[in-house]
Amino acid sequence: MGGDTANGAPPPKRMKLHMPSIEEAFPHPMDGVAVPAVTIDALGSKGQIKKIEFTRIITQALYSLGYNKSASLLETESGIPLHSAIISQFRMEILQGLWDESLKTLHNLSHLDPETLKSAAFLILQQKFLEQLHRGETDMALKTLRSQLSKLKIRMQRLHELASCIICPTREDILAKVEWRGGGAEANMSLLLHLQSLLPPDIMIPEKRLEGLIEQALSVQRKACMFHNSLDQALTLYTDHCCGRDQIPTQTIQVLDAHEDEVWFLQFSHNGKHLASASKDCTAIIWNVGNDDFVMLKHTLTGHQKPVAFVAWSPDDIMLLTCGTEEVVRLWNAESGDCLRTYTKPTSGFTSCAWFPDGRKFVTGGGDRCIDMWDLNGNELDSWKGVRMPRITDVAITSDGVNMVSLAGNKDIRIHNLKEKSEHVIEEEGSITSLSFSNDSKHLLVNLSSQEIHLWDITANEKLPYKFKGHRQGRYVIRSCFGGSDHAFIVSGSEDSQVYIWHRGNGELLEVLPGHAGTVNCVSWNPTNPHMFASASDDSTIRIWGLSTKAPRVRATGTSNGIHPLINGVTR
Amino acid sequence: MGQIFQERLPGPRIYCCSNCQAHAADYDEVVSKAFQGRYGRAYLFNKVVNVRLGPKEDRQLITGLHTVNDIYCSCCQQVLGWRYEKAYEEKEKYKEGKYIIEKNKMTKQNFLK
Repeated sequence: MGGDTANGAPPPKRMKLHMPSIEEAFPHPMDGVAVPAVTIDALGSKGQIKKIEFTRIITQALYSLGYNKSASLLETESGIPLHSAIISQFRMEILQGLWDESLKTLHNLSHLDPETLKSAAFLILQQKFLEQLHRGETDMALKTLRSQLSKLKIRMQRLHELASCIICPTREDILAKVEWRGGGAEANMSLLLHLQSLLPPDIMIPEKRLEGLIEQALSVQRKACMFHNSLDQALTLYTDHCCGRDQIPTQTIQVLDAHEDEVWFLQFSHNGKHLASASKDCTAIIWNVGNDDFVMLKHTLTGHQKPVAFVAWSPDDIMLLTCGTEEVVRLWNAESGDCLRTYTKPTSGFTSCAWFPDGRKFVTGGGDRCIDMWDLNGNELDSWKGVRMPRITDVAITSDGVNMVSLAGNKDIRIHNLKEKSEHVIEEEGSITSLSFSNDSKHLLVNLSSQEIHLWDITANEKLPYKFKGHRQGRYVIRSCFGGSDHAFIVSGSEDSQVYIWHRGNGELLEVLPGHAGTVNCVSWNPTNPHMFASASDDSTIRIWGLSTKAPRVRATGTSNGIHPLINGVTR
Repeated sequence: MGQIFQERLPGPRIYCCSNCQAHAADYDEVVSKAFQGRYGRAYLFNKVVNVRLGPKEDRQLITGLHTVNDIYCSCCQQVLGWRYEKAYEEKEKYKEGKYIIEKNKMTKQNFLK
């Protein structure tokens, strides 16, 4: 290794004899630090990790864990100190509240641009000023303000605020006015953290850097894990995280037989304790979900004259709205099963409805081309209509109450921003059969009759949605929904009687579950239990799906669904 | 069999199924009004919605031999007319891929008098 590195360029002749490897000594960034015979500077399989940085981060982690002796031992052994001498001095001064000394040290720090210098100085002086005020040393505070703070000539607004503190009558006022958290060791620590964020990171490493890096790696693993579907965050550092297929419900654990005709719609309540289903036999049924995930019939809601096409749980799950096909909307009390009110419109019927997040108002969309807003007493509060507005087939309101989405005509998704009273339209390429929203109010799922499911992000102005394919859809209204913990999966029904599950991130078809004997019209995932979902089908049954590791149910309690034919899904 | 998905046509003047009022075709898609169906006058359309196709068959029509599919309304299964799959004479080739709906199986909607 005889190359002369003083001017960074070893004689070319010599280089050819050596293999170009990471053993070339290149200039160290920390001048004046004795580096013992270490020639390898990069670690890791790709040589991307610099040894100096790595050691410093480990030292910092040891300090933050409280292992001071080990940390200082590491510093001396590797010869790489965590902070250079100046910085250690600076830190000590800040932590002890020695403001003037720390200012001097700050100025001694090399390669800092003037802006950063000023901001850091401002913070230190601000703390000094407020402490002085707090202690009642008003003239000292005034002197600080005049001679030191105003010389910096930045953040004048803040300067004026601080100046007005002088005339504050009591100490509490000061604290409240400038959001000062008081003096003392804690405040000094938080000042130090604040300063750290201002100074360049290679001078003072941000706190808890190693923990931060590891958490980033964990979240990347978690995102890459396709079957991840558990509520608890049991990720270990020892191996890469990867769930098995058995985290997704793939087995029918119960078949509910109470409807007499095709079941067109179903939805779990927000608290996951009830399930409502709507059927062509003109009834809706509310089911109870027991603690062991056993579902039992609770109420049968009769009264509609036409097939019930849609149900909507109020945000507090006390009330339920049911919508007949082109017919009336009925409001029911979910506990007692009584019909509280019927909403009609003389000209035409309604096709769907959606609650506002406050649970006291809801909107309906109908065949007469307007969207109406109603309250619980039966009064029509508002309506959106227009000559150019075509027939509405589906409405939904996001859970934050900001956006109202309607399916107008066949191809348009209209998004009305309720706060700003603006509207924008997403045009789809084919006819849309159904609409479903995610919990974070930002993503929208539509089923198209061209046998695709599109996932749109309504906040970003994207032109292209994510697409999911594989299921069959032609003539009927098939609905899909989000599922799993953090909504990582997309589930849909299909005309070939199977349930399809895709991974939302990469669009891969994970499972195809047979079992039903007719078109699966609608699926709903339990919002509080990531291992349970329900599907509704034309064979007039509802199937509850759970994990394949669970034992099948053999209960025969007196309910109308005492039959349990377990035709289990054999996954491909 | 599940909630049947009905396509809706936007344009104001629409022809609907006489039985169930499902939208069938738009006035702007009329190609010719001078056709004869099995039960009387019929119109030739470029595009129709909410129909299902029946099986192919060869039929001898007034204008010659053609391969046609019967079309049924998706909602009520009424036979509305047929679709020309293939025409065997050169003069009739223009009809291929277009649809015939019989006049008495349609009702008009929103036509201005």
